[in-house]
Amino acid sequence: MTSLASPLLQQAVVSDQSTASSLQVQGLTKRFHGTTAPVFKNVCFNIYKGQSVALIGANGAGKSTLLRCCVRLIEPDEGNILLSGETLSSKKGRELKKARNRVGFVFQKHCLVPRLSALTNVLHGNLAHRSGPRNWSQCWARQVDRDRALHYLDQVGLADLWHKRCDQLSGGQAQRVAIARALMQEPSILFADEPTASLDPKSGQVIMELFAKLSRAQNLTLFFVSHHVEHALHYADRIIGLRDSELQLDCASGTETTVSLRGFYA
Amino acid sequence: MPELHLTKDVKASFPPRFQRPSWLGTALFALFLGFFLWSLAGAGMSIGDLVRGLPNMGTIAGEMFPPATDRAGPIMEAILVTFQMALVGTVIGVVLSIPMALLAGRNTSPHPLVRHVTRSIISFLRTVPDLAWALFFVVSVGLGPFAGTLTIIVDTIGFCGRFFAEAMEEVDPGPSEALDSIGTSPLDRIAVVQIPGALPSMINTSLFSLEKAVRSSVVLGLVGAGGIGAELAVSMEMFRYDQAAYIILMIFILVYAVEHLSSRLREGLMHQSK
Repeated sequence: MTSLASPLLQQAVVSDQSTASSLQVQGLTKRFHGTTAPVFKNVCFNIYKGQSVALIGANGAGKSTLLRCCVRLIEPDEGNILLSGETLSSKKGRELKKARNRVGFVFQKHCLVPRLSALTNVLHGNLAHRSGPRNWSQCWARQVDRDRALHYLDQVGLADLWHKRCDQLSGGQAQRVAIARALMQEPSILFADEPTASLDPKSGQVIMELFAKLSRAQNLTLFFVSHHVEHALHYADRIIGLRDSELQLDCASGTETTVSLRGFYA
Repeated sequence: MPELHLTKDVKASFPPRFQRPSWLGTALFALFLGFFLWSLAGAGMSIGDLVRGLPNMGTIAGEMFPPATDRAGPIMEAILVTFQMALVGTVIGVVLSIPMALLAGRNTSPHPLVRHVTRSIISFLRTVPDLAWALFFVVSVGLGPFAGTLTIIVDTIGFCGRFFAEAMEEVDPGPSEALDSIGTSPLDRIAVVQIPGALPSMINTSLFSLEKAVRSSVVLGLVGAGGIGAELAVSMEMFRYDQAAYIILMIFILVYAVEHLSSRLREGLMHQSK
């Protein structure tokens, strides 16, 4: 990684180098139309199975764009993406959708269907694998899927609110339902784009603890964008950072402090 | 009050309270005013005729009271047929509007060409007046309520098709993007995001459409498309203003009841979750 110039840059720390890669990003570059400067260029990193990685950077550094480029929700201009060893860059149509169904996504805003119940929203995670009316509403779902949806709601501590409409839940509760929906999908890697940005500090902490607990319990790979340096230090095994369109930070969270990471934003 | 100090530069560029209208704006306003005054003549507006007509209005209104109930049975039957035409026409129209709206919506249509063609069809159905459709169907399928029902179906598609499509376009794209990111099919996203998201607006539009259909089915009878309109036309033509008053009263009760019920139904349906 020759382009990495920051003194904060260190050797990427991997707990077990022999572990298979969950996500490999090779030379990823993205430019938006009408701009000459790239959002980011030549970004390379590997995320290993079971690893928890935080992506940090200032506002407008391209964190969310990078996250979306990793599943081609936004098309990168150059570079290659391998998801569980499978090249994503060349896939199109149905093949691309099939590859995406192994990636869970939790957004800054919960992105739930407001008028539907928590249980139905969780059930929608199943649509990644099985299309059709039986996964449109909990009313018509197979009993086994209803049970699974309730199980994941229970894992996020909301089993008793299964019947509540999502527009009647608090921001923190809605985000927990969004996590349960992602778990329902049984993903191999979970992406989270600033999942605590719209929450108060306490709710944000609850959400991050939930992510940490679930990823440990299910050996789930977690890749999250965060503005909170404390969250990155506390809940990630590894921190990568974007600055000046380049990946200028890649270190183990244990080697950094809040003060040193805040310097990254300067 | 504290003394306000403004720098000289700011004072010099202080914005005027009113802006001078542009030449184009003034000319357009003058043109509109001229056209409106000319239209007053074209519309046959005449205070003299209104004053001369007042005694006639008084006479007719006087003859309307008390309303005659001698044909209460057939009138009630016609009122029921009117409501049945409106209900069947609206339900079938609403059901047919859903696929039309999906093809016409910016975020649901499979192709821009399909969207433009469907939008054009919906616009055509809406812009042709319902009375013209009624005349067309009376000639095509004969006198009676079937022609009226077909008119209401077409009118409902023109009305609901447009508003359903717009409601689906206004749905928050977030949930759809979230489901797209995990590889769900477009049909699934329409079923679980677009339709539930647009549902409150669709319910509103459908119930408003029913109210509109009840009102228009009264008029459709005047051209032979069934319902209470035919009874009203006959009563007026035979100078039975007392009977006409009874019919108008029944129409008022029907329209009022439908509006009242639809607003109650709207409230109930809005608070359900699935």
